[in-house]
Amino acid sequence: MKTSGKALSIGLLTSALFLAGCSSPSDSGGGEASSSASGTVTVWDYYGEATPLKASIEEFSEAHPEITVDYQAFDYESLHSKFPVAVAAGEAPDLATVDMTWIPSLAANGLLGDLADVSQGMLNGEPLEDQYSDGANEAMHYDGQLVTALYDFDAYALYYRKDVLDAKGIDVPATWDEFIDATAAMAERPSDGAAPTKYGFAVQPDTFHYSQYLFQNGGSILDSDLQEAVVNEDAGVEALDYMQSLLTEGGGIYWPDASTQIAGIKSEQIGMFINGPYMMGVLKAGVPEQSGDWAVAPAPIGEQEGSYLGGTGLVIPTGAKNSTAAWELAQWLLQPDQQAYVYTAAGAAPATNAALELPALSASDPYFGGQAPFSVFKDAMATATHFPYVATWGDIDSAIADGVTSVLLGKESAQSALDSAAQTANAALGG
Amino acid sequence: MARISSAPREVRRPSRTAGRSGQGKVALPLVAPAMILTAVFFFVPMILSLVWSFTTYNGMIPATWNGVTNYTDLASDSVFRTAIWNTAVYAVVTLAIGPALGLGTALLLNRGVRAQGVFRSIFFLPVTLSLVVVGTMWKVLLADDGFINQCLALVGVQGPSWLNDPSTSLLAVSLASVWAGFGFETVIFLAALQGVPRDLYEAAALDGAGRYRSFRAVTMPALRPTLVFVYVVGIIGSLQVYDQMYVMTRGGPLKSTTTIVYYLMERFQRFDLGTASAAAYVLVVVLALLSAVQLKLARRNS
Repeated sequence: MKTSGKALSIGLLTSALFLAGCSSPSDSGGGEASSSASGTVTVWDYYGEATPLKASIEEFSEAHPEITVDYQAFDYESLHSKFPVAVAAGEAPDLATVDMTWIPSLAANGLLGDLADVSQGMLNGEPLEDQYSDGANEAMHYDGQLVTALYDFDAYALYYRKDVLDAKGIDVPATWDEFIDATAAMAERPSDGAAPTKYGFAVQPDTFHYSQYLFQNGGSILDSDLQEAVVNEDAGVEALDYMQSLLTEGGGIYWPDASTQIAGIKSEQIGMFINGPYMMGVLKAGVPEQSGDWAVAPAPIGEQEGSYLGGTGLVIPTGAKNSTAAWELAQWLLQPDQQAYVYTAAGAAPATNAALELPALSASDPYFGGQAPFSVFKDAMATATHFPYVATWGDIDSAIADGVTSVLLGKESAQSALDSAAQTANAALGG
Repeated sequence: MARISSAPREVRRPSRTAGRSGQGKVALPLVAPAMILTAVFFFVPMILSLVWSFTTYNGMIPATWNGVTNYTDLASDSVFRTAIWNTAVYAVVTLAIGPALGLGTALLLNRGVRAQGVFRSIFFLPVTLSLVVVGTMWKVLLADDGFINQCLALVGVQGPSWLNDPSTSLLAVSLASVWAGFGFETVIFLAALQGVPRDLYEAAALDGAGRYRSFRAVTMPALRPTLVFVYVVGIIGSLQVYDQMYVMTRGGPLKSTTTIVYYLMERFQRFDLGTASAAAYVLVVVLALLSAVQLKLARRNS
């Protein structure tokens, strides 16, 4: 795996350099803007060690000697706390990577510049909105302003141990009913009624995972005006009841601590889970011995397809000193061949439509038994929706997660837990 | 006599004054860096935080004055009330067990145990560990199929899901904290015990006091200042508990391990600096009151 991964990145690098050499100045990232952009661009990045930005920025610096990039690495929590304070204090970086769940609070406080000003609606010479899915375009706007350009995306699909499913003669589940049966048939328990000790399905009590069932059941967290919580309506209650039934009737294991998930996969206690594309990289790095055993399928659907949509956005904060050069770099990072680093370096999913068509992303992946798992996430993205863009999302998220936890622990009914969550959400909305 | 006794005073007074002003000239530049740093990094943030507690400040847009709304909101916030309750339970559990365990261990070690230094180091070792390390270690030990539950299974008991069950999570985190901290109390009590004059015990023995009687009449009174110190430091520490909760449970499940400091950190992370500052000042007032009561009680007893 390591060798082929290395070969893949060398191949991509070669083709990137070849393309850079072949392309004319007008169609290289940024096009005409490159003539006016110069100076220093300060970049704040939360990606961590496996960041795809570093490799891209090195190539950018070679192609654009007139622009100096001051790259500064942060961890996720530090960037979350420092970015708003720095922008408010007039010490904003020129470009930053931010989690899409931060967008509402940052944008509501006027910290994100309108990219429409600097881009004129164009990305690398083509209309920007044509280069993203509808859901992504919607997620990139706040209050009518283009506040971010999606760099990588997160939408959920079903990861499962194909070797176990095949050995037990279970079909890949496509609907909620089939899913309960499949998890029950796959899980192994020491005795009837005991929690699965092998090949269970990880049921995670957080808003991300609950939303998967909520959206698939046609439900929403807030009403369309973002004025009132509707999570406690029938669709939401049914979704939470279904989630609980995965524990009581299916082969679900209650798994509240995401940080121990990879240990559960390694010990084979977990044989199925629902998560985003970044888990492909986590699996390969964390459990290389299970190479060839895993596969990815669309998450089994209820009433309709649906997933939460998240990821990483590139933002140019208000008060950025060199927004022209920052947009130049942003365009570079969003070129398809540069977006490939999101996959090769970080094991995550690049966000632009063109990047999703890259041969490297549609190639069969030996870790996933020769499957090309990216297409599954690409399809999931097409029907994914972002969380409501309200400034107090943190409080609403916490209230829903507590409600879900309470039900999965058998403390109260789905209706009562979601009524409490809705009440907290309405208070947070100022109602 | 009068002349002799007053003479040195007259001589000393001017010399002391001259010395003070001379020392002052030298001292001021020497202490200035520390004073400036303390003012900038301690007093200024304290005052700013007090001001913020009366505003809607979120660190991003200018603050708006909102009077005591943050404080009244806190009073009506069920999560904050839960945080106060959890903090109180944590303080009671850790302060009931920790010092008692520390004193017990110190008494055992004080009985001329061989290799006393080695045992003292062993008991003190957890205190030197980072709370993040301690928290991570106990998280592994307390996992559903972790060492603790495996031991319980050996004697036919099915252990609970310690950290995932709201009814056991706070107790589990509290006990892990006791393990991490009681070595400090052991060392402090041991030092105090070794400072009790031997002749007091001999006198008590001559008066016919048994082991229990000399513990009550000699050891405990001698340990009183140490006990006050241990409890004052212990209460301040336990009311400020945060690290263990962050590492082991993230304040959950269902807010069962959300403490006051965890609550205010969460408010800070959501950029609700006004409420976070108000919560911090509630904690400061509670700590000041408790410490004052403790010191007063200690003075009355002595």
